[in-house]
Amino acid sequence: MTGDDFRPKILIFAAEMAYRAADAAGLTKAEYPSNTYYIRIPCSSLLRPDLILYAFKKGFDGVLVASSGDDCPFMGEACIEKTSKRAEKAYELLEQNGIERERFKVAGICSTCVEALRRQIQDLNETLQSLGPIKTT
Amino acid sequence: MSYDVMVIGGGIAGMEASLTLADAGYQVLLVEKSPSIGGKMIELSKVFPTLDCAGCITTPKMAATANHPNITIMTYCEVQEIYKEGEGKFRVKILKKPRYVKVDDCIGCQRCEIACPIFVPKEYEYGLIGRKVAYIPFEMASPRKALIDLDNCVMCGRCERACPTDAIDFLQQPEVVEEEVKAVIIATGFKPFDACLKKEYGYGRYKNVIHALEMERLLAPSRPYNWVLRPSDGKVPDRIAYVLCVGSRDKSLDFPICSRVCCMYSTKQAILFTSALPLADVTIYYMDIRAFGKGFEEFYNMAEDMGIRFVKGKVAKITEKEDGNLVVRVENIDDGTIEEEEYDMVVLSIGLTPNSEVVKAFKNVEIELDPFGFIKPVSENTNPVLTNVKGVFVAGCAAGPKDIPDSVAEANAAAIQCIDYLYEVGAKVVVR
Amino acid sequence: MVNDKIGVYVCHCGGNISDVVDVYKVVKAVQNFPNVAVAKEFMFMCSDQGQQMIEDDIKELGLNGVVVASCSPHLHETTFRKVLARAGLNPFLFEHINIREHAAWAHKHDPEGATEKAIRLVRSGIAKVSKARALESIRIDMPPQILIIGAGIAGIRSALDLAKLGIEVHLVEQLPFVGGRIAQGYGAYPSGKIGTELIDELVEELKKEKSNIHLYTNAEVVSIEGFIGNFEVEIQINPRYVVKECDKFDEAIEKCPIEVLDEFNYGMTKRKAIYYPYPNAYPELPAIDMNACNKCGECVNVCGDAIDLDQKPERKKIKASIITFATGFDPYEPKEGEYGYKQFDNVVTLPQFERLLALSNGKLEYKGKEIKDVAFIYCVGSREREGEHKYCSRYCCTATINAALAANQKFGVRTFHVYRDIRTYGKYETYYEEASKNGAVFLKFSPDEPPEITQSGDKLIVKVKDQLTFGEEIEIPVDMVVLSVGMVPRKTEVVSMLRVPYSMDGFLQEVHPKLRPVETAIGGVLIAGACQAPKDTVEATASASATAAKASTYLLRGYTELDPFIVEVDAEKCTGCGDCVEECMFGSIELKDVNGEKKAFVIEATCRGCGACAGICPEEAINLRGYTYDQLRAQIDAMLEEVEE
Repeated sequence: MTGDDFRPKILIFAAEMAYRAADAAGLTKAEYPSNTYYIRIPCSSLLRPDLILYAFKKGFDGVLVASSGDDCPFMGEACIEKTSKRAEKAYELLEQNGIERERFKVAGICSTCVEALRRQIQDLNETLQSLGPIKTT
Repeated sequence: MSYDVMVIGGGIAGMEASLTLADAGYQVLLVEKSPSIGGKMIELSKVFPTLDCAGCITTPKMAATANHPNITIMTYCEVQEIYKEGEGKFRVKILKKPRYVKVDDCIGCQRCEIACPIFVPKEYEYGLIGRKVAYIPFEMASPRKALIDLDNCVMCGRCERACPTDAIDFLQQPEVVEEEVKAVIIATGFKPFDACLKKEYGYGRYKNVIHALEMERLLAPSRPYNWVLRPSDGKVPDRIAYVLCVGSRDKSLDFPICSRVCCMYSTKQAILFTSALPLADVTIYYMDIRAFGKGFEEFYNMAEDMGIRFVKGKVAKITEKEDGNLVVRVENIDDGTIEEEEYDMVVLSIGLTPNSEVVKAFKNVEIELDPFGFIKPVSENTNPVLTNVKGVFVAGCAAGPKDIPDSVAEANAAAIQCIDYLYEVGAKVVVR
Repeated sequence: MVNDKIGVYVCHCGGNISDVVDVYKVVKAVQNFPNVAVAKEFMFMCSDQGQQMIEDDIKELGLNGVVVASCSPHLHETTFRKVLARAGLNPFLFEHINIREHAAWAHKHDPEGATEKAIRLVRSGIAKVSKARALESIRIDMPPQILIIGAGIAGIRSALDLAKLGIEVHLVEQLPFVGGRIAQGYGAYPSGKIGTELIDELVEELKKEKSNIHLYTNAEVVSIEGFIGNFEVEIQINPRYVVKECDKFDEAIEKCPIEVLDEFNYGMTKRKAIYYPYPNAYPELPAIDMNACNKCGECVNVCGDAIDLDQKPERKKIKASIITFATGFDPYEPKEGEYGYKQFDNVVTLPQFERLLALSNGKLEYKGKEIKDVAFIYCVGSREREGEHKYCSRYCCTATINAALAANQKFGVRTFHVYRDIRTYGKYETYYEEASKNGAVFLKFSPDEPPEITQSGDKLIVKVKDQLTFGEEIEIPVDMVVLSVGMVPRKTEVVSMLRVPYSMDGFLQEVHPKLRPVETAIGGVLIAGACQAPKDTVEATASASATAAKASTYLLRGYTELDPFIVEVDAEKCTGCGDCVEECMFGSIELKDVNGEKKAFVIEATCRGCGACAGICPEEAINLRGYTYDQLRAQIDAMLEEVEE
């Protein structure tokens, strides 16, 4: 099943600032696909690579880590480095498990970055529509 | 409810002073004239030299202030009278302006705003776009509550019918409340220079001459058109000029001092164009580039490296062409030539002027002003937040132009001097 | 352990939510979800009635967890936590799910999708709460004591502000006298007071607060251990060799046969081995400079046992809840030959020139010659295109013009200013204006073509390509050239003891340049004055008071409470690999020996709760409270449960 009928399930880990961006998106009535499910976390450096794999194995079609980027209230710029370290590992895990790397994205989203958030979601949504549903074992 | 300290002004300095006092354990009454706290900082796009978005770092402060159990905020209120009745004793009268909306009942749903048929220019966006007569001042406002601008209201009653909580109340009257406080902090900030006063630059007459705070809005993440457009015809500008020191360092206006932030905010805006309008050429006409704070010189160097053109010279005159373009006449001090350049848009980097009306509220003591009209710090080298009246402190731009970190530092300094004063008059913190 | 009686409350928000999200359907979809005891919808959950309903349910149904689905947690999370607390339930057995901004408002034209999203989000909240643990805020005691390092104008200001509140201040100064760089300055702007006058004023206040301020001069910090609320500091007090009062110190100083260059006057004068830097210096006892002293005993002959040439250094341990750095700056020392410095006699730095003004009477003289014309070269050691001092030193433009005005008014000196940009910011612009009015000559140079200094007879010639006259080459014969030197950061060992980070420019790094200018990334460590960045006295004292303000918020209450969301280590899983120690930016994890095995331990007082250490642990031995991996997995599982049409 691909194309318009397919509504991929997208998990969004939203760190502090990105969570606020999602708030701001609502406040400004900026619409984006509704098949996007948030889990609130303080900082993207918390995310273990195996947790990303877990989300896919359980059936999410795509995962977006919406990091606070250099606006991270905990560590500022260092957050980017730590988060990319996790992401690299996660990509390796996905590859080992035969999951397309395009299903997983990481982006720095500041608290008013409504447009950036929407763009990330839309891009991922389109990618997933062309990839089709995740094959879970 | 009794308060220890009244802080006048809910901008960054006022919020910061309130938070520190409240964290120390004091009860703070924060009085703000406009319908939301946040001050000038919440209007800005990004801040120099970090390029943090201003909203991102201001909204958490606003939320912290609004949620602090020791802070009571009175928005849309004005301090009318202050009587010093002894050390540690100030009697104050505060005017509560009617919002025509019951704040406790309003849930910020904006249905009144949708229902309202009348448009007027939106103050928060410097009139670049409109707002309704029943409105929430801006998306991130705190409190996020509606108010009705009765001057422009046609009394159609649509808002009243739309409101799901019956919060609209056209019968509200101005009300004066009286409070007693032990100390006062003045954090009333500044007024942007009225660019119309520099007639030779044509602000108000030439559509494509705007001032820097308007440009802040055009560049903000929550910006009005989601693009930088010039006002006359909605064209995306290719060539933009900045005129620095508009309303500053200007003896003809009897305002000889420098406003401290304009060089840097103009440089910042120019840098923001590199992503907002990558093809635009930006020229900055300056007298001296005053990149004096931490990281500022490096920021200025970066701007030069990015190709922003800095020209030392005082702009003599701006004229408008038929197509709305503007011709800037300037003596280029670097090579002695008289330059006449055409631009799509000119931004006037307006200065920071005093906002000291609050001193009139002091009825039985007189707060001293400096020669330029700012609240005068009387012991600047050793204790920069004291005014001539004991128990009254000043912080931020109320005492003179300054940038955000300097305002924050001063706000904290005012808070500790205030606490020292409270100890002196016997109002110690009670440890719970 | 599972919380199996969870109440779920879905808010209409007066239509804001319910116009898009079918709240009845949400309630239906979660009421039979595992561990849910009750699910309800209500028009305004945040209203008094809504809150009361939840409170009653907790009590009557014995709920052990609550989920509210309404607006953003940033608006009402604390509101509902308080409801739990009022009902006697731990406030952290709560999850706030945002179905307004994140669902109803973002998907206005997709009500079905928004409803499905709301259901999945609420289920995620239920799963999270089912695995939640009661948490307690972390309380850190903050005994009212502080260490301030540096007794210049910033250190003294900060010490006074806190001492007046009854807080015990340990003020440590490495030199034998207080006052720092300001004492050496001449006219301070904007007050016009002499530097020593300003210090005298503060010292008068300092004397009044003697009971709360322990001043240690000639002292240095040897070691610091611990963390916010509990720093243990060892200081060494080096001998002054003058141990008590004597009324014949002046005679002793006169008798001292040793003369050395006086560093207080930047080597322009000489002082004895026993000395005061200036009359009225504080503390009142003179000091003996043992590097210069030959122990001839002349001073002892005069003052007897007030002087002890065999005095030994002393070590002292002090405790502090907070540490403030007020360690100041150094003036830039020009390289030999830089604008003729140390090459020609009459090339001096601005700080030297200020001392010269302070020491002169009647006429301005240097090395026996009268000074009538002075050229000031700006930005020496600042705004370097190459080199390490790329920053602007902020104070020098105004300080230079201020000194030039004084030289002109007091001694009739003519002044020439060779500058790049005049940065007399704010109200200081009036100094620039006044100088121009009084005949000071301003010439602007480009950094590509810096001025050149040569000697001709007894004059110095400053050759400059003046941009104000479009590059005309101008030669100015003067009696003295003053280099407006910038401020240079100090690298002190005590900074590295605490791992306080430096900025790119070498000054200490504040935690947030805009909104938290006096705090550092290290909990309980504050920065006052010019150690953070170049500042004038006004800005230095403001920032010093700001550190006092920040400190007072902790020290007046005697404790602080931190959010309970910090990490914890499962000692059984921990293999002691130490990855977490490296990963933590705040030094909040340490390895300790437990029965011969290394285990990670969390320093609760400094953990910020980012969870970076947990994210890197190879064994999943670390969890962030409130966001445990068990909770996150349960959330993922719950979100993926089938939603019926």
